[in-house]
Amino acid sequence: MTTSFKLNLRRGAVVTGKWKHSRYRVERLLGEGANGKVYLVHADRGWCALKVGIDAIDLQSEINVLQALEKQDRKQTYLYEVDDLLGEDGKEYPFYIMRYVRGVTISDFLDKNGPEWFPLIGLNLLGKLAELHRRGWVFGDLKIDNVLVADYGYVELVDYGGVTAMGKGIRQFTEIYDRGFWNAGTRSADARYDLFSFAMLCIMLHEPKKLHALTGGLPQIRSTEELERLIGECKGLAPVAGWLRQALGGQFFDASEGAEAWRRLLHRRDTRVKSAKTPGWLKGLAAVSAVVLGISVYWLLRSGI
Amino acid sequence: MKQILLVTDGCSNVGMSPVVAAAHAKSEGIAVNVVGILDYGDVGELGASEIEEIARAGGGLSRLVNMRQLSQTVQMMTRKTAVQTIQLAVQKELKQVLGNGSIEALPPEKRSEVVRVIDELGETSKLQVALLIDASASMKPKLRAVEEAIHDLMLSLQARQGQSEIAVFHFPSSKHGEDCKLDLDWTDNLKGISSIFTKFPMSGTTPTGPAMMQVIDFYRQGDYGKKSRNDETDGMMSDYVV
Ligand SMILES: Nc1ncnc2c1ncn2[C@@H]1O[C@H](COP(=O)(O)OP(=O)(O)OP(=O)(O)O)[C@@H](O)[C@H]1O
Ligand SMILES: [Mg+2]
Repeated sequence: MTTSFKLNLRRGAVVTGKWKHSRYRVERLLGEGANGKVYLVHADRGWCALKVGIDAIDLQSEINVLQALEKQDRKQTYLYEVDDLLGEDGKEYPFYIMRYVRGVTISDFLDKNGPEWFPLIGLNLLGKLAELHRRGWVFGDLKIDNVLVADYGYVELVDYGGVTAMGKGIRQFTEIYDRGFWNAGTRSADARYDLFSFAMLCIMLHEPKKLHALTGGLPQIRSTEELERLIGECKGLAPVAGWLRQALGGQFFDASEGAEAWRRLLHRRDTRVKSAKTPGWLKGLAAVSAVVLGISVYWLLRSGI
Repeated sequence: MKQILLVTDGCSNVGMSPVVAAAHAKSEGIAVNVVGILDYGDVGELGASEIEEIARAGGGLSRLVNMRQLSQTVQMMTRKTAVQTIQLAVQKELKQVLGNGSIEALPPEKRSEVVRVIDELGETSKLQVALLIDASASMKPKLRAVEEAIHDLMLSLQARQGQSEIAVFHFPSSKHGEDCKLDLDWTDNLKGISSIFTKFPMSGTTPTGPAMMQVIDFYRQGDYGKKSRNDETDGMMSDYVV
């Protein structure tokens, strides 16, 4: 549900904070969503991202999460400044300044750089989720729009509006990525919730049309079996099909366990190389894994992403 | 926190004005949200403005959506209105404590504190939502989407830490002297309930106002015996603010 949001900051405009008086020069719009707009701005400290909100309470609630995260993780800066700005319409709008994340969506990255990057990006993304899970948080609104990929498959999460302390109700989610929507579990924040969304994100990257078609069906028949059938039919997902089924079924305890399994899957090739000079009785086994190990080849050949 | 969620696709046409009924609800501490379902076309200008006015009188939100957006909208409105209810209670307290009622006017650091309290109360306070479903003839093909939205709402409410209950009514009622029919009494669980609307009457009338009055009465009866309304959130707030 997009709310009409009249505020528009033009390129070159200078925003001055009401409380702290810092000045920011607007470069361009980075993106917008249901809760506000994000601009690339220039400040004394260099390039930053400015998120201006529609609703002061909603934005503050997101800021509170960022502040809580920052307290736990001194290595990373999530938030530079919080202030209000005066719009052209004479109204005040709350905003905050965060680190500018350079990058493109996963789908754009794969289109440009090739599908063989997918396994690594997936692994990096699981790593990001694992960091949150370790600190007792669930990302919540994991979807293509909220992940940015930079050079060499480096991954960053953006939009912390859905981040929820474990045990509470997920604060923001998107239906098609939501475990509840697929009749596969609750909307309470647990690490498995993110892994479910991660699996949906993988399906969305490979089979967006078929996935959207499934959402049209009756809610009673919406189920993970439907999703599993879709996964089974998708060649691009074959190497991780088993992993995805486990994630949809909530079988990984958290993202670090999921990442471990994902990594094992991707490195089976090494295992095979090592076991190349194995006794004959193992050859059968090796042949079986050779099929599984074609992963990278699969991805190289697939361009359907 | 008490809410009525009205789901309709057109104009009321019998009895008391639903706007007046919604104002009654508000004075009883019940917020009224309204969803207008558009199917192949729209609810008409009259319907659209009525929907907006009911919500305004009832201190809630209104949205016009198609069936596909229904679940997400219902879930979202309920959440937003709950936060708003808490926010109003908090603002009232702030006025007493700080002589300043507006959260937006606070400097960011103070705002952060207040919003933390609002979020905490929003997650833990008891929440009741009475769904009032227009089941007049034109709504019939949409009832399945409505049922889905109700199940979806229950799922979101179950994820809250606080106690959450829903009740479901439809109108008109085929029973003489009744303006709406209770389909489901207060519950926090829809397990095993595959169909909420088993048999609905076919009647041309849409007594939205009278039906809403009956739901207000249902709330009142439920409260009978409890000492006073509204004090739950007020009391909790003082613990935080002082
Ligand atoms: N720190 C950042 N650096 C670069 N781009 C960003 C940053 N934060 C957000 N963006 C871009 O802006 C878009 C919208 O931001 P964000 O998701 O935070 O808004 P939102 O209103 O919360 O959206 P949603 O509707 O998903 O809740 C993002 O999808 C992303 O492309
Ligand atoms: Mg977003």
